[in-house]
Amino acid sequence: MKRNTPLITLLVGAALGVVLLVASMLTTPSSALPNYSAAAASSAAPASSAAPAESSESSEAPEPAESSVAASAPAAAPSPAPTRTTPTADFTGRVGGGGGSVAVAVHGDKAIAYVCNGSTVEGWMRGKVEGDKLVLTGKNQTHLTASYHAGKVTGDVEAHGTDYSFSVPTVSKSSSKSSGLYQATAVVQGKTIKAGWIVLGDGTQVGSVEIGESGEKAVTAPKLDVATMTARIGNVVLHAVPVSGVTGSGF
Amino acid sequence: MTAPPTQPIPLPRKPAASTASLLIVPSLIGALVALALGIYGRVHSPTGIAINIAGFSSPGSVKSWLATGATVFAIVQVGSALVMYGKVPRVTAPEWIGGLHKWSGRIAFLLAVPVAIHCLYALGFQQYSTRVLIHSVFGCLFFGAFTVKMLILPKRGLPGWVLPVVGAVVFTLLVVIWLTSAYWFFSTFGIKA
Repeated sequence: MKRNTPLITLLVGAALGVVLLVASMLTTPSSALPNYSAAAASSAAPASSAAPAESSESSEAPEPAESSVAASAPAAAPSPAPTRTTPTADFTGRVGGGGGSVAVAVHGDKAIAYVCNGSTVEGWMRGKVEGDKLVLTGKNQTHLTASYHAGKVTGDVEAHGTDYSFSVPTVSKSSSKSSGLYQATAVVQGKTIKAGWIVLGDGTQVGSVEIGESGEKAVTAPKLDVATMTARIGNVVLHAVPVSGVTGSGF
Repeated sequence: MTAPPTQPIPLPRKPAASTASLLIVPSLIGALVALALGIYGRVHSPTGIAINIAGFSSPGSVKSWLATGATVFAIVQVGSALVMYGKVPRVTAPEWIGGLHKWSGRIAFLLAVPVAIHCLYALGFQQYSTRVLIHSVFGCLFFGAFTVKMLILPKRGLPGWVLPVVGAVVFTLLVVIWLTSAYWFFSTFGIKA
């Protein structure tokens, strides 16, 4: 009897953990629960084999930009063949006209994109990768169609009735460590808010905060401190999490 | 002539073998706990959101205060253990010291569980900075080490150094976790509820 008390402590703690985990799952909006495990299992093998090719290609920025043009031609150089089917990549850049930024994360056959003008026009999208084509959709008719090549993704995105075309490069690890796409979710005064930031290679960032689950209303996000990965709305501290196809974070 | 050399050999060997056999299953279970937490934190998509506790301004401050509470009780753990082992000069262990040690440990553990669940569910295993990587790794290790401690506690016949060493590992892991989270949180954003 007395000998088992540490085990009881352990089991009580485990039970408390399970209860809190289930309670958390029940309170989380269903849209925030993508089914990732199946994709992780299926894409693990190709991701590990092709990832070195991708990282070596993306580290030299000008080269892939040229080879992406060549990749559409049948008689391409030998190197584009493996990179065209690269299952993981992150892209960020300004949209045409410079009125905002777009970020695309490709992980296996899934992709997540975020477009944001740093104010009311923004939207998160998810979808499938089919060949080199991306068709992503989000709330309120937000949608993105693009084709992606080694080093570059080109297409159109529409959010809140605003249409942008874009052609943006892969996130270069050398230019800025913090460059990329980040998200944070919190409950403030009973409302679910979702913040998104796109940090570009030159360190500039845009971000918006969706208020409520409909995603219809958005405001300018507080500045994301990339050193601490946090931002503050009043007293509430938002903890940003990277959304990255390369690491699989956020998928 | 052969008796004196052979006699000392079985004596240390026998306890050594039983120590290993007593420790191996708890250690394996602890390792599996740490591994399972790490894999869940890595594979599960962080939601950024989990059940919140009323009365605090944000999950970050809830977690920081709970972790600070756990760390304070963990310091009580070390103090009461020192008294129990007679390591504090001129202090004889009072009758209630065992109870204090048990209950401070239980409270510390139960305070740490909600923090860990929020970390695992809302934030996941992350590595975008050294602080976050250390916190993620040590967070998983802590619950593995705590499991080992709880499983070997009822075992009889362990050498005297085992429990203090495992206890010290658990305490050290918790302090590092606290330094890389709550201490960082309070020093970055100020101490607030």
